Amino acid sequence: MTTLFLSWAIIIIAVFSIAFFGARKSRLKAAGQSQVEEINRVLPDLKEEFSTELTPSGSLPEYQFPREELPHSYGIDRLVLLARDPYWLYAYWEVTATKMAEFSSTHGAWETSWPVLRVYDVTGITFNGQNANQYIDIGINDQADNWHINTGEPDRTFCVDLGRQFPDGRFITLLRSNTVTTPRASLSDREDEEWMWIEGIYRSIRHQYGISSPLFAEEIAERARTIPLGVSSPGHWPEY
Amino acid sequence: MRKKGHLAMVLHAHLPYIRHPENEFFLEERWLYEAITETYIPLIDIFDRLEREDIDFALTISLSPPLVSMFADSLLQQRYLNHLNKQIELADKEVQRTSYTPFYETALVYQKRLNQSRRIFLEYNCNLVNAFKKYQDSGKLEIITCAATHGYLPLLMTEPEAVRAQIATAVNLHKRYFGRDPAGIWLPECAYTAGLDSILKEFNLRFFFLDTHGVMFASHRPRYGVFAPVYCPSGVAAFGRDPESSKQVWSAKEGYPGDYDYREFYRDIGFDLDYDYVKPYIHPDGIRINTGFKYYRITGNSHHKEPYNPGQAREKASLHAGNFMFNRELQIKHLSSLMDRLPIIVTPYDAELFGHWWFEGPQWLEYLIRKIRYDQDTVELTTPSRYLDQYPCNQVVTPCASSWGNKGYNEVWLCRANDWIYRHLHLAAVRMVELANCYPEASGLRRRALNQSARELMLAQSSDWAFIMSTGTMVDYAVKRTKTHLQNFLKLYDEIKNNYINEDGLKALEDKNNLFQSIDYSLYRRNA
Repeated sequence: MTTLFLSWAIIIIAVFSIAFFGARKSRLKAAGQSQVEEINRVLPDLKEEFSTELTPSGSLPEYQFPREELPHSYGIDRLVLLARDPYWLYAYWEVTATKMAEFSSTHGAWETSWPVLRVYDVTGITFNGQNANQYIDIGINDQADNWHINTGEPDRTFCVDLGRQFPDGRFITLLRSNTVTTPRASLSDREDEEWMWIEGIYRSIRHQYGISSPLFAEEIAERARTIPLGVSSPGHWPEY
Repeated sequence: MRKKGHLAMVLHAHLPYIRHPENEFFLEERWLYEAITETYIPLIDIFDRLEREDIDFALTISLSPPLVSMFADSLLQQRYLNHLNKQIELADKEVQRTSYTPFYETALVYQKRLNQSRRIFLEYNCNLVNAFKKYQDSGKLEIITCAATHGYLPLLMTEPEAVRAQIATAVNLHKRYFGRDPAGIWLPECAYTAGLDSILKEFNLRFFFLDTHGVMFASHRPRYGVFAPVYCPSGVAAFGRDPESSKQVWSAKEGYPGDYDYREFYRDIGFDLDYDYVKPYIHPDGIRINTGFKYYRITGNSHHKEPYNPGQAREKASLHAGNFMFNRELQIKHLSSLMDRLPIIVTPYDAELFGHWWFEGPQWLEYLIRKIRYDQDTVELTTPSRYLDQYPCNQVVTPCASSWGNKGYNEVWLCRANDWIYRHLHLAAVRMVELANCYPEASGLRRRALNQSARELMLAQSSDWAFIMSTGTMVDYAVKRTKTHLQNFLKLYDEIKNNYINEDGLKALEDKNNLFQSIDYSLYRRNA
């Protein structure tokens, strides 16, 4: 599908990138005289054969979609954490007015504290709020309701608290996220092997990992020129 | 002579569900028509020819549920036929127009192809499902499924029921259209995360595919790399993409489709010719679009283009097929000297690459199949099922979370351009599960409303929308589709909860977003 989509994207881009067959121009003169002149005036150097992409303008016919926007909030306290890649997490949240009021009445005025994301490394443990391997704090602002978090740590497990910090150093948790594990970014160092028959019979064999996988140095930029502008479909070539 | 290794060609065919009954000339609907003419019918044409000549082959193709649903939709079938008839009319004019020019031969090729498309389309009763099923039933094609609306599953795993419903709906649809359970699945965008395999296991799916690093970075380290499948702890097999053969087709520097003799995609008479001439064949509002009539070859890196020569291009396709096969032979000879079993090389591609982008792709594929059959003794075409039957014992590893998108992980579908969708998609999934648990045995109008809620949720979950947003072009349509389906869902949720279902409104949605006729909302029940 992606290749098809990309071609369409290009078509739409090219809607106003007018190209002409130099060789055939005379044949078409009678019918398209005024247009040709107009284009030649606007783009004088397009008289020769030409093909490129220009920025689209104008508008396409539109289906009338509903106009109302999606709700900004759903009245549910939640903090959801997703792993984007080996190095980045993404968190979004919603804090309800009730939760804010509760917090203020228990811990003091909302305005005297500031929002903080506390990112816990909880790899290999059952997290109870106190036993994280380590954590980092990210100061955010009161308008933010989502954050891209750079951990730089593949193959580690994380949990995030959205909380508020007071001038005296107190950190009070408002919401706690689910836990996620970032993907690996390299070969595993676990070389022992386990084998399985689909019928459920297991056996173990020790064997050296022996095949060198093909090595790549890649060229995403070049690919973009000729073939389906490598976006989704195989758009990357990892190195081992 | 005994073969030394296997080659599994895998084509992933998918388009998002785009059907606008309200407008006959909806631009995005043309994606389907173009792909039918340029990719799906040419593939079927190859299968027909190979069948007639009694040439054996084995290919794997994933047909996504939205694509299958569009194939089977009578409105879209009729519209495709109208579209095709217009194309044939234009082809006839083009043959006239180009006579005594270097473009004439190409015009004849288009005329012939389009007439052939109509013949094939009608032969299979306007429903291409019939064609694919035919070759499944004769054992040549292994047809596998995909998630119901091509949802990007790793980012939906916050609500596993939503993922389960994507899989269950796909498996049910597959069974309905192809008369058997799918043996395996193409995970949308090759996207995997730990735990997904257990859900696949529930539906007896034996295998799925991973990008190279999904297998290579598995823990424990895979002994055979990507040249043999691995089992997830659940017992579902994962096949890894072979980077070398993928690169030969995808790479610009070394890949075949960029060859100077092949057809140039960017030159189309929809843009190049006089407005009055092409007007009847572009958008009725006068917007210039691709017509599919392209007369130049890639020629080189500059803007200078020379006329396309179909014969020369065909020769090149044959040459490239031979080169591809030769490289697989070398690869397999090398691998089999290192392995104590026959290696398998898995080469997955977007089906639409063949024919649509790479015009000569189907020819290349046909030459490849013929050459493998007649010109060598090293490589054997196979399917994942056959390979697993032959080698039921495999190494157990936990694959690495990965996708085949840019940079190899989730970023394309989770970046600043589209991150906002997840708070809505996740919430809607939570509410769908809530509805399914609240109304376990619904009937009548409420059942219809619940089923439509599930449809709207799934349509909103299509990975296509997030993908389009990330590319930065045609974003508007993707944003609108996402919002519309979510709004439809939220509205239905309120109506169901308030026990006040607007039947006319429901009927309108059922008519418009009409896929998955036999969807069952109770798939969303927790611990169902």
